[in-house]
Amino acid sequence: MNIGVIKAYTLKEFKELMRTRMIFTVYALPLTILVLFGYGIRMEVTHSRILIIDNDQSKLSGELVEKFKHSKYFNTTEANISESKALKLIKQAKKDAIIIIPTSFEKRLIKAQKIDIAIFIDGSFPNRAHTIENYIESVIINYLQNYAQRYPTFSTNIIAINPRSLFNQAMRDEDAIVPGLIGLALFVSPAILTALLIVKEKEKGTIFNFYASSINKEDFLIAKLIPPFLLHSVSVLILFLIAVYLFRVPFRGSFALYWFSSELYVLVSLSVGLLVSIVTRSQIVALVLTVIITILPGFLYSGIILPISSMSRESYIEAHMFPVMYYNHIAYDTFLIGQGLSSKKIVLYLIILMGFACVLLNLGWFLLKKELKK
Amino acid sequence: MIKAFLSIVAKELLDFLRSWGLVVVVLYSFTVDVYIAGSGMQIEPKNVSVGYVDYTGGGISQKILFHLHEPEFVAPKRFLSQKQLSEAIFNKEIMVGIVFDQDFEKNYRKHKKATIDVLLDATAASQSFITLSYLQNIVLNFSKLNIPIDIDIHKLFNPNSDERYFMALVELLSVVTMLSILLPAVVFVREKEEGTWDIMLLMPVDPKIVILAKSLSQIIIIMAGVVITVGLVLFGTFNIPMNGPFFAFLLLTFFYAFTSAGIGLFIASVSEGMMQTAQLSMLIMMPLIFLSGAWTPVYAMHPILEKLSLLSPLRYYIEGCESIFFRGTSFIDLWQYFAGVLVLGSVLYWYGFRKIGKLF
Amino acid sequence: MAYLEVNKVTVLYKGNKIGIKEASFEANEGDIIGFIGADGTGKSSLMHAIAGVVKFEGEIIFDKYAYHSPKEAEKIKKHMGFMPQGLGLILYNTLTVEEHLNFFASIRNLIMDKNFKAYKQKLLHMAGLSRFTEREAGHLSGGMKQKLSLICALIHKPKLLLLDEPTTGVDPLSRLELWEILDSIRKEEGTIVIVSTAYMQEASKMDKLLLFEDNGIIARGSSKELINTVRGNTYEKTPCESEDCLELYDTTYSLKPLKSKHKEPTLEGLFFVSALKNRKKLPEISVSQRKEPLDIPPIVMEAKQLTKKFGSFVANDRIDIKLKRNEILGLFGANGAGKTTFIKMLLGLYPIDSGELTLLSQPIRSGRDRQKLKSKIGYVSQHFALYKNMSVRENLIYFANIHQIPTHETLKRIERYAEELGFSDYLDAMPKDLPLGINQRFSIAAAIIHEPVVLFLDEPTSGVDVIARYQLWQLLRLLKEKWGISILITTHYMSEAEYCDRVVLLKDGKKVADDTVENFYKKHPNANNFEEIFLEYYKEAN
Repeated sequence: MNIGVIKAYTLKEFKELMRTRMIFTVYALPLTILVLFGYGIRMEVTHSRILIIDNDQSKLSGELVEKFKHSKYFNTTEANISESKALKLIKQAKKDAIIIIPTSFEKRLIKAQKIDIAIFIDGSFPNRAHTIENYIESVIINYLQNYAQRYPTFSTNIIAINPRSLFNQAMRDEDAIVPGLIGLALFVSPAILTALLIVKEKEKGTIFNFYASSINKEDFLIAKLIPPFLLHSVSVLILFLIAVYLFRVPFRGSFALYWFSSELYVLVSLSVGLLVSIVTRSQIVALVLTVIITILPGFLYSGIILPISSMSRESYIEAHMFPVMYYNHIAYDTFLIGQGLSSKKIVLYLIILMGFACVLLNLGWFLLKKELKK
Repeated sequence: MIKAFLSIVAKELLDFLRSWGLVVVVLYSFTVDVYIAGSGMQIEPKNVSVGYVDYTGGGISQKILFHLHEPEFVAPKRFLSQKQLSEAIFNKEIMVGIVFDQDFEKNYRKHKKATIDVLLDATAASQSFITLSYLQNIVLNFSKLNIPIDIDIHKLFNPNSDERYFMALVELLSVVTMLSILLPAVVFVREKEEGTWDIMLLMPVDPKIVILAKSLSQIIIIMAGVVITVGLVLFGTFNIPMNGPFFAFLLLTFFYAFTSAGIGLFIASVSEGMMQTAQLSMLIMMPLIFLSGAWTPVYAMHPILEKLSLLSPLRYYIEGCESIFFRGTSFIDLWQYFAGVLVLGSVLYWYGFRKIGKLF
Repeated sequence: MAYLEVNKVTVLYKGNKIGIKEASFEANEGDIIGFIGADGTGKSSLMHAIAGVVKFEGEIIFDKYAYHSPKEAEKIKKHMGFMPQGLGLILYNTLTVEEHLNFFASIRNLIMDKNFKAYKQKLLHMAGLSRFTEREAGHLSGGMKQKLSLICALIHKPKLLLLDEPTTGVDPLSRLELWEILDSIRKEEGTIVIVSTAYMQEASKMDKLLLFEDNGIIARGSSKELINTVRGNTYEKTPCESEDCLELYDTTYSLKPLKSKHKEPTLEGLFFVSALKNRKKLPEISVSQRKEPLDIPPIVMEAKQLTKKFGSFVANDRIDIKLKRNEILGLFGANGAGKTTFIKMLLGLYPIDSGELTLLSQPIRSGRDRQKLKSKIGYVSQHFALYKNMSVRENLIYFANIHQIPTHETLKRIERYAEELGFSDYLDAMPKDLPLGINQRFSIAAAIIHEPVVLFLDEPTSGVDVIARYQLWQLLRLLKEKWGISILITTHYMSEAEYCDRVVLLKDGKKVADDTVENFYKKHPNANNFEEIFLEYYKEAN
């Protein structure tokens, strides 16, 4: 370790970042991810556009329609059009689902005769279709339960579910999403920042300053890591403040654990970018490669939308190869649960993250050569 | 003009093919990446671990639990007290806890409202939501209504809810977005950095032609990649249906790639070097991809974002592609997607033409 | 035992391409060793090997420490200074001059005490950069970048200094200063300085010269010794009769004895004689007459009071220059005098702040006025601009296509230029695998492939070897004679002024002289060569 050298390189990197006005984008990226996605990504599908064709036009069918109209999950319209015309609306992606109430709905309901309610759902987004299906079913059943209770002649056995979400009583989307987004933001932004740091010097020729002097490989790497690391240490704090004060996500764990694991995770992300920078020879390849290996996996394997436990085969394995899921587990814990180090899994995941950092940095050190590639 | 145009296109393609590193990365994105996303990603619950406390002594409760079976659920684990159950959730041993209280069976038999307490782990929000809706369905079947209602659900276009269709397609569209922004952006920025842009400006060719030719060259690369993915992965491996006109998909992809290239052009014109290009493209691409409506429907977002998404070409492209692949929408009805993409593209090129490519 | 011993060093590149083969030499403390030779003969490869930045075979011993690989070389890197070839390659565009020196001092573990500061000031002063300490490297002119790179490589007073063409693109005044720096450091520190150069006046100042050819060292000795080897082959200009003879501008070289008088030989002669010995017939440069004579106005370019400012810095201050039909106009000036800025304004790459410009009888008021003229102008930039992933041939075809030249004509022209400019062997090579000089030759080919009426050349000869440079000038003169075109050229080889019809001298953004070369000599009767005249103008005011 040579402090003087590290300091010189570090200062140089800082100045370059400042003077190219990079400092702005360095923070814009994680902020954008957190704020935009925090407001944009929703677990619940609300305002689904459904169309009800009420062929009965009776009081009871009207009540059912009202139920839909009052649900936040639906954006209900009522129309008296033919089934084929309605189906065309789905085809044109103007409606997500169509509910057709049969002509004799009221009559048959009173007489307790079999009623057919036809529902057509746009299945092109399978997950969304599934959710909409469940919502529609429960509205109808709920309606019928209420109806049945008014008339004791219909003896019913009713079971209701009383969901209590631990750690997130109100089932707020923000609580469920924002901690995960921190994991995404702190993966993507540090990686893209370091991805070009070394390959840029290779392309320009300034790498000769490293090749032809007695600077150690480790000093060089450390010097390359320090500025982005410090910059993103600030991100760690900013993201925390946004989560807690803007999105009002509760924070139940220890800040020390959040801080430590986040810094560790930033180091891992930086190492990913640095490794890319070491193995590539042109900035273009480095950039495209980093984008491909960070954006989509960072999102898909973060556990925000897709539960990792229900992935299969390739995806399940790939998810474990990215650091996002380990960090996110810790992040969710520090925000919503607060078990901290008393949980063995968290300790294990911290160790895994350290392992990531060690392996990536050592690999980078090994692959970095102090000579021209022929 | 044609000759100059074609030469530029040919030059850029040659350039691409000679940088084998880039070829490998692009090929990877169009094949393996889409395959992995399509083959293993599932939003349906799977292997959800459930624990329960049963104060009723069995009966209905056991019947309900019987319905929680593989592959969605791991066989439910019994706990003796609610305290133990909560602890298990804390330790992430189980994800869902079910509590049948003493009155449960009694109420049920008496036709009163019987209640099940369900404890969910909200840190695994996606699983929780899905599991809850699953449980609700199971329980509904037990709520024996004497009304013989028949809810007849038709899921159109993808009756089996095959997640692979959706995941693979969305992944492909995301890859198309990323590459058709990045590749043109770096092509322009590199010329700026290396000083070859000056030389281009001095050539007796309208700079607009140069810009269009360069964009086209990258779009050809994207189109080739798209054809490979669609043939090899979407049709070849996942048997994704194609209900609409295939040419409409290709045409829409072509226009979309052009518009995205326009975003790349925009990025290149405002950034000074590769570093800035990298940051800016990330900054623009990520919201485009994840707020395009594929993950959360646009209408469920914050009203401001809903409006903003009108500016995202991917919004039109995703809707359009879903319509072509699954809904089988007729070509005429796709006009709005084409219009959306083309209008945005025109604005971007108008800006790019003004901003770069002028002599004083 | 010598302080530096290089024993049978061989560098192989991908595909067993030889960089340098079995090169050996020795140097003692305080020696200045010159590497001279044509482009692509292995000078840079040997430098890289000694600097320990590339794998090599053989052995290098420095101060009793032997190394055989970059890894082993680590130990001596702290005693070494290395400046690779290329304009400002080792500089960071956003750092200022001052910050560069501090950065290099830090990575060399120097203590920033009073002595260091004094030394730094001395270096800055010698490099003429004292006024520019706050300027970012990206905004320095090419020559200033070179000087900054050099003093950065010197800052830690290395024992071994490797400089790969450090003076390429550096003006004569600065070159003198550079040599003063080198001379003092070798005297004070006993530093071994290894320099490769294309300026033969410089080579003559070195203690020992190594002549490179065919990726090996073919001759060595002091400059006098080397010159003497060609004394017998150098004659006054005589028409050649046999194949072993070469007739140049004012000298003839022949392997067989000629009847005419011998002439005082120069180092340049070494190259021509060695080319003759190797039977490398210098390609006959010829330019065919144009089919249709061109309609060129008598004044091709007229600049009136052209001014360009960057912030408060006036790069060009009310410059008046006329370029006449059928004229080669040399634009001379120190680094940062505003030559490149002026050319970029002419081309429209920079906006004109004030003044009037007329190009080919067309007043230029906006970019639109230039559109029609583009096909009549050829341009070669200081940093050549060629596409790295395309071979030389592909690059040329590309440029020709952009100029809408019919394909069969293109191929014919490429064949011809390749021969005329001497890069036939390299036609299918990638630009990045080629030495600077050869790259430069074909960027000129690219600039004239559309047969322009006027050529703007920004230091086209920087870093180009003696023979190639001679041929280039031959080509330019032929182009002028046969096509009747006009050429505006900047160069730092003062000897090249002789080839120009007229010379304009810029200094600090102002025009200080504008005359024919003959008149310059008349005004300065004591001057032996143009370099002295140039220096006089620069000293006068100081």
